[in-house]
Amino acid sequence: MVTEPGGGGKGSAVAGARRVGVPRGPHATEPRIDARAKATGRAVYTADVGLPAMAHVAVTRSPVPHALVGAIDGTDALRLPGVLGVFSAADLARAGVGLFGRRVVDVPVLASGKVRFVGEPVAAVVADTRAAAERAAALVDVQYEELPGVFDPLEACRPGAVLVHDEAWAYEGAVVSAGDGPNVQSRQRHGDPDAVEQALAGAAFVVDRSYQTPAGHQGYLEPQACVVDASGSSIDVWASTKSPYRLVSQLAHCLGAAEEQVVVHPVLLGGDFGGKGSPMGVPLTAALSRLTGRPCRLALRYWEDLTATNPRHPAVLRIRVGADGDGRLAALHLQVVADGGAYAGYKPVPGAVLHGFGDAASGYRIDPLCIDATIVYTTSVPKGHMRSPGSPQAAFAVECAIDELAAAVGLAPGELRRRNVVRSGERDGHGHVRRQSLGVEVIDAAVDAVTKAPAPPGWCHGTGMALTERATASGETSIRLRAVDGGRLVVEVPFPETGTGSHTAVRDGLCRLLGMEPAAVEIRSVGSAALPRDAGVGASRVTASISTVLGRAADEWHRRGDVDTIEVEVTGDDQRVSSYCIQVAQVAVDPDSGEVRVLEVLSALDVADIVNERAHQMQVDGGAAMGFGFACLEDLQLEGGQVWAGHLGEFRIPTARDVPRWRTVLVRGAEGLGALNVKGVGELANVPTAAAIANAIADAVGVRIRQLPVTAEAVHRAMSDRDRLRSGEASGSGTAEARP
Amino acid sequence: MKLSFVLNGQPCTLDVQDDALFLDVVREMGLTGTKEGCGVGVCGACTVLVGDDAVSSCLLLAGCVEGSEVWTIEGIAEHDPALVQAFVACEGMQCGICTPGQMVAAAALHRAGVPADEPAVRAAMAGNLCRCTGYGTIVEAVMRYLG
Repeated sequence: MVTEPGGGGKGSAVAGARRVGVPRGPHATEPRIDARAKATGRAVYTADVGLPAMAHVAVTRSPVPHALVGAIDGTDALRLPGVLGVFSAADLARAGVGLFGRRVVDVPVLASGKVRFVGEPVAAVVADTRAAAERAAALVDVQYEELPGVFDPLEACRPGAVLVHDEAWAYEGAVVSAGDGPNVQSRQRHGDPDAVEQALAGAAFVVDRSYQTPAGHQGYLEPQACVVDASGSSIDVWASTKSPYRLVSQLAHCLGAAEEQVVVHPVLLGGDFGGKGSPMGVPLTAALSRLTGRPCRLALRYWEDLTATNPRHPAVLRIRVGADGDGRLAALHLQVVADGGAYAGYKPVPGAVLHGFGDAASGYRIDPLCIDATIVYTTSVPKGHMRSPGSPQAAFAVECAIDELAAAVGLAPGELRRRNVVRSGERDGHGHVRRQSLGVEVIDAAVDAVTKAPAPPGWCHGTGMALTERATASGETSIRLRAVDGGRLVVEVPFPETGTGSHTAVRDGLCRLLGMEPAAVEIRSVGSAALPRDAGVGASRVTASISTVLGRAADEWHRRGDVDTIEVEVTGDDQRVSSYCIQVAQVAVDPDSGEVRVLEVLSALDVADIVNERAHQMQVDGGAAMGFGFACLEDLQLEGGQVWAGHLGEFRIPTARDVPRWRTVLVRGAEGLGALNVKGVGELANVPTAAAIANAIADAVGVRIRQLPVTAEAVHRAMSDRDRLRSGEASGSGTAEARP
Repeated sequence: MKLSFVLNGQPCTLDVQDDALFLDVVREMGLTGTKEGCGVGVCGACTVLVGDDAVSSCLLLAGCVEGSEVWTIEGIAEHDPALVQAFVACEGMQCGICTPGQMVAAAALHRAGVPADEPAVRAAMAGNLCRCTGYGTIVEAVMRYLG
C-alpha cells in the first residue's frame, strides 16, 4: 500500500517492498523522554550551566579579512570594573596552547601574527560579568597592517594568487603537499577523465552546465557555548558539542594536557546540523580558565555564530553528463571548486574533504564517472560541516542537469531516472555494489502519490523531482545497563542528545529487544569519563550504532541473567545499507513578478524498521524544511571575505508560514543494520529539495535557475531574457546541446 | 534602579542595571527556561508574556516591565497544564531550544482568542523559528491547545 500521513493512498505492492503509512496525531506510545523537561523550561543547555565563581569570556574579533596583527593594547579594557584580564596569542603561547583542528590542525585559538577572516578571534577578555567582558572586548585596541585578500575560490587557486597560508602543507595532519598549487585545502579526484571525455564524445545527448550555491549557516538556534573549569588539575567541560570524545582528544592536544585530565559533562544541545562538531570556543575558554584560575563561560552572540563559526561551503559546480538515445546515462563529470575559508580544521574526515562531492550521483549506474572536487583556502570565515556535507550542493547540480538531460532525450524526468537508478546487486558509478537498492520502487511510489496542488489564479504551476542516495553504516559507541530496584533499568549512553531523539530511540529500541515498558527504562547521558569512546553524532550513524550496541547489550543481558550491570562497546561496522530519497516539489510562479511559492514537497524514501515513527517523520519534515531554506531563502551574503547576513533577520531560515505542505511516502521492507534493523534518515530529505524546486520552476515557466537561493528577481530576469530571445530570434535556444 | 513587577504570579522587587535586558534579568534569577537565540527579536526563543502580549525579552529593557504582570515558561507551564500536555503529546519539539518561546507565543494566542485555524496559527507563530521540526508537530500542538 502507498499511503501518506493523514490520508489514504493507493498502489500495488512492489516486489521486495511493502509500503504503509505513517501514523499521525498524538503519539501512540510514550512521548520522547525529554518532552516534559523541554515543555516546562527545565531542560538544561550549556548557557544554563553556572559554576561558583564563574567568570565570563568575550572575544575581540578582526574587522579586516587579511592583515598582519601589530600591537594589542588592552589598557582601556583593563580599566573597566570587573575585568580580570586581556589575553592575546602571546599569552596563550606562553601557556603552551597550540593550534586545534578536527583533522588538519591549522586553527589558532587566537590569531597569531596574522588574521585571515573578518571575525577571527584576536584577543579575549575575562571579566566577572558577561556585560563587562563584552564592553571590554570592544575596547581592546589592535593595530592591523592590511594585506590584499583572496575571496573568490576560483581566483584563489590560480598561480600568483594571494596565499592565505604560506605553508599549508606544513600543518600537522595536512592533506596537501607543496606541489598542490596555491591555496589548496583538500582535493578529491576519482574516476578516469579520459574515459569520461571519450564517452561524452560518443553520447547522443550531453548537458554541460554550471551551478552556484551560497554560503549557508546550520541555523541551530542555540548559540555555541561552553563552560570550562581548568582552575584545578582536571579540565571539566560543558559544551554545545555533538562529539564529546573527539573534543577530549582535540582539547588535550591543543592545551598540551593529558586526555585523562579532560572530562566533558553531558548537556543538551539546542540544535547541531553539523555545526557543533569542532572544539570551537572550548580551547580558548579552557586556556583562560587555566590562566585566571576561575571557571569561565563563553556564550557566543548569534551574530558571532553567523559570521565567525563554521558555515556551509559555497560551491561552484560544473557538470557534464551524457546519455544515449534511450536515455541511459553514458558518462558524468563533476568539477567542484568550494570555498573552504581561512582554515581547514573544521572538516573531520580523512582528506578533509566533503563526502557529498565525492559521492555525487551515487544513485545512478554511470560508467565512466569522474569527480574532481577542490576545496580552497580564502580569506573568509572557515567552512565546516552542515547536514550531509557537500550533498545538497552536488545534488543541486546533478539533479538539475539530469532533468535537462531528460528533456533533451524526450523522456519524463521520472522515467529517465528510473532507467538509471542502481538496482539490487548492481554497482553504482563509484564502484560500490548495492546488495539492496530500492530506487525504482521509491520513484514509482513518489510518482504514484503526486496529486496536483492548486496554484493561485494566474500563476503558473510546475512539478519537479530530484533524488539522492546515501549509504549509512554504524559507528563506534558504547552503553551500560544497570538493573535498579523495582525491576527498572538505568541505561547510560555516551552520545549527547542533539534534538534528534536519539536517547528516546535507545529507550524504544531497548524496550523492543528486552520486552520492557518505556516507564521502566531510564536513559542517562553520562560524561566522557564514564563510558568507552563514542564517535559522536554525525554521518546518519547514531540510530544504526544504537541498533548494533543494543543488540549486543540485549544478548549479554539475556545470556548472563544473574548480573546487574553490563557494559558493551562496539566499533564501527563496514556493512553499509543504501537509502533513496526522492522528492517531488510543486510550485506556483507568478509570471509577472517571478515570485515562487512552493506549494508542496513530497518525500518518498525506502525504510527498514523504524524505532520511533514520530522522530523519524520529524527528520524527514525538518530535513525538507532545511532543503527548502537552502533552495529559496538562505544566503550568508559572503562578500569581500565578510558575512553580511549578520543576524537572523538577514539570514532568513523558514518560518511556520513560509514552509510548504510536507507529504511523505515510505517504501517499507528495506534491509537495515543491527538488531533493530534500521537505517539512517537524518541526511536524506534536506538533500534533493533545491533541485526539485528548481526543476519545478523550469516546468512552470520554462527557465532554469542555476544559482541558489532562488529569488523572484532571478526568475523574473530569466523569464525576461528568454522572452527577449524569443522575440529577437525565430528559433528558440535549446536548453541542452543535442548531438548529432 | 529598582524594579517592581509581578513575575509568574508573584510580586517581586529587584535592583537592576539601567540598561539591563529583561532576558538577562530573568535568567540571572535562575529562570533559564527563557532562551537567548538570535538576540535581535527575530527567532522568538526569548519570548515572555508582558500582560497578554508575547514580547521578545532580548529587546526588552528590564525597566519597561515596571508594574507589569510578566509570565515566563516556568510560570506558564505550572499554571497551564493543557499547554504542556499539548506540546508533550504532539512532541512539538526536537532540540527544545525554541520550545519555551513557542509555548509562550501559543499562550498569547490563547489569550487573544485566536481560533484553531491552521493558516492563522502559522501566520501568528511566524515569529518563532524552529530549525528542527519543519513545524508540523508544533502547529499540531498549538492547534490542539487552542482547539
